[in-house]
Amino acid sequence: MTAPGAGQPRPALAAPVLPAFVGRPTAGPREAASWTPRQVIANNLRSVVGRAYPRIRGLTREPSWVLFEMLLPFLTTSSFVFVYRALDAPQAYIGFVVLGGAMTAFWLNVVWMMAAQLYWEKDQGNLELYFAAPMNVMSVLFGMAVGGLVMSSTRAAVVLLVATVVYGVTFSVSQWGLLIAVFILTLAALYGFGMMLASLFLMWGREAWHMTQLMIEPVYFVSGLNFPVGRLGLLGAVAIALIPLAVGLDAMRQLAFASTGVTGTPEPWIETLILVAMTVIFVGLARILLHSMEERARREGRLTVRWR
Amino acid sequence: MIEATIGRDERFDPARTRGQGRADLFRSFRTAVALGWKMEANWTDPVLFFIYSVAKPLASALILVFMLQVIAGPAGQALRPFVIVGSALWSLVVSGIAGLAWAVLDDRERYRMLKYIYVSPSSFVVVLLGRGIARLAVGAMGAGITLAAGVLVLGVPFDPGAIDWPLLLAVLVLGLATISALGVVMAAICLQTRQDSWTYPEAVAGALFLVVGAVFPLSVLPDPLQLLGLLSPLTWWIAGIRQALFPGGPSSIGGTGSAWLRLSGEVNPNDLQIVLVLLATGAVVTLASAILFRVGEGRARDRGLIDRTTGS
Repeated sequence: MTAPGAGQPRPALAAPVLPAFVGRPTAGPREAASWTPRQVIANNLRSVVGRAYPRIRGLTREPSWVLFEMLLPFLTTSSFVFVYRALDAPQAYIGFVVLGGAMTAFWLNVVWMMAAQLYWEKDQGNLELYFAAPMNVMSVLFGMAVGGLVMSSTRAAVVLLVATVVYGVTFSVSQWGLLIAVFILTLAALYGFGMMLASLFLMWGREAWHMTQLMIEPVYFVSGLNFPVGRLGLLGAVAIALIPLAVGLDAMRQLAFASTGVTGTPEPWIETLILVAMTVIFVGLARILLHSMEERARREGRLTVRWR
Repeated sequence: MIEATIGRDERFDPARTRGQGRADLFRSFRTAVALGWKMEANWTDPVLFFIYSVAKPLASALILVFMLQVIAGPAGQALRPFVIVGSALWSLVVSGIAGLAWAVLDDRERYRMLKYIYVSPSSFVVVLLGRGIARLAVGAMGAGITLAAGVLVLGVPFDPGAIDWPLLLAVLVLGLATISALGVVMAAICLQTRQDSWTYPEAVAGALFLVVGAVFPLSVLPDPLQLLGLLSPLTWWIAGIRQALFPGGPSSIGGTGSAWLRLSGEVNPNDLQIVLVLLATGAVVTLASAILFRVGEGRARDRGLIDRTTGS
C-alpha cells in the first residue's frame, strides 16, 4: 500500500506568506527577517508597553500593595518627623523628611525592581527569553522603568500629600519651572542608574541580593535623606557627584524650601546640569554594559545558569 | 509476590510515621538553621560578608546621629545613647521580622523548593523558624557592632560594670521570642502575596518603628499612638534593654506628658513592670501569631499558593 499522492508530480511551491511575523506578506524568511526602521521602533515600543504592563496592571491585582507600599511607608516617614519634633526642630526640617520620604519610593523601586530585576529574571528563567526575542533588551529595561515609575509615583504622591496635610508642611517654591525640571531629571537619572545597575547585578550574581541591602540605608545616609547633605562635608560632595538621589533631593530642597536658605551645596541650576550629565552617562553606560553582558553571557553560556 | 511483599512489610514499624516527636523537631530546626546560615554566609569572603552585615544598621544609626547633630549640636551628645541603642536594636527587629518572610519568598519564588519542604515530614513552621534564626543571628551581629561603634567611635558613655545582667537576660529572651513570633506572622502574610512582597517586612517594621519608642520618647506622640505603643511588646523590649545597659538613663515609655505617667501615676516603669508587661504582651503576640500562621497556611494550601511563582 502506498501513501496517497505518492509518485505523482509535486505541485510548484507558492511563495510563502508570513504575515504573522512582520505584518505584511513576504516572499521568504530572509525578507521577513529584514525589518524596516519603522517596524523595529514599533516592535521595541510594543516591548516597552509589554514589560510595563504587568507592573501597572499588577497594582490592581494585589490589593495588599496599598497597605504595604503606601500606608506603612507613610508611618515610617512619620517616625523621622517625630524625631525632629522631639528635638524641637524648625518646621522646614519636617518638610525635608517628608520630601525625602517621598523620594525613597523611587529609590527603593530602582534598587529592588530595576537593579536587581534582571538577576531575578535569570533565576525565574525569563532572561533567556528576553535575549532570544527579536527586540532590543534596552526596551525591556525602559518598560520596567515606566512600570516602576507608575508604581512608585503613587506611593510618593501619597506620602507627600498625606504627610504635607497631617504635619502642616509649607513649601516656599521660588522657581516652579526649575523644580519640575529637576524632579523629572532626577527620575530620569535614577532610572538610568537602575538600568546600569541591572547589568552589573547580573554579573555579580548572588551578591546582588546583598548589594540591594547595601544600597538602601547607607545610600540614605550619604544622600542626606533626612538632613541637608551639605552637613556631611566631603562625603556629601562625593554623593552629589555620584548618586542621583543625593543631588536631586538637594536641588529639590533648595527649590521647594527656598526661604530656609539651606547652603553648603551647589546652586540648583548647577545640580540640574549634574542631573543631565548623570542621565546621559547612566543610560549610555547601561546600553554598553547590557550589550557587553549579553555578549559575555552568550559566549560563556550563563544565560540559563540560576541561583549563583 | 503478595506474600513476599507482606513479608517485607513485617519489618516496617507503623510508629515511624508518627516520627520521634521533639527529637525530630529539633533535628529539623537544627538543619534549617544550618541551611539558613550557609545560604546567608558561605558564598562570600568573611570581610565582604562583614561589610554587608554591618553597613545597614550602622548607616541607620548614623542617619539619626546626624539628625541630632544638625538640630541639637553638641547638646545632642547626651541623647546619643538613647538613639544608638534604639537604632541598633531596631536592626535586629527588622532582621527577625524579615527572616521568615524572606525564607518563604526565597524558597517559593527563587529556588522553588517550598512545595517540597512543605510536603516533607518536617514541621513547616519549625523549618521557617530555623531559617529565620540564621538571619536573626546576622542582625544580632550588626546590632552588636553598631553598639560597639557607638561606644568606641561616637563617644557613647558606657560602663560594662553597670549592666543589669538579670534584666538584660530576661528581656533578651522574651524579646527574641516575640520578634520571632512577628516573623511568623509576616511569613503567613507573604505566603498569600506575590513576589513583590520582598519589601513588606521592612514596611511593617518601619510602621512599628513609629510607636515603639526606638529613637524618640513615646511622649511626643498623640495619645492614641502612645497607647498603641504601650500595647506593643517591642516597646517594652527596647525600654528593658535600654534600662539594662544604661541604668537610670532616659526612658522611652515614661516622662513628662506621657500616657504611662497618666495611667500609672509613676514617672517611669521599673524593671519588674517592664519584664511583666513584656511577658504579657509577648505572650499575646505569640499566641496570635500561631493562630494567624495556621489560618494563613490553611488558606495558602487551599488556594494553591504554596507552589505559586509570580513576577512583575
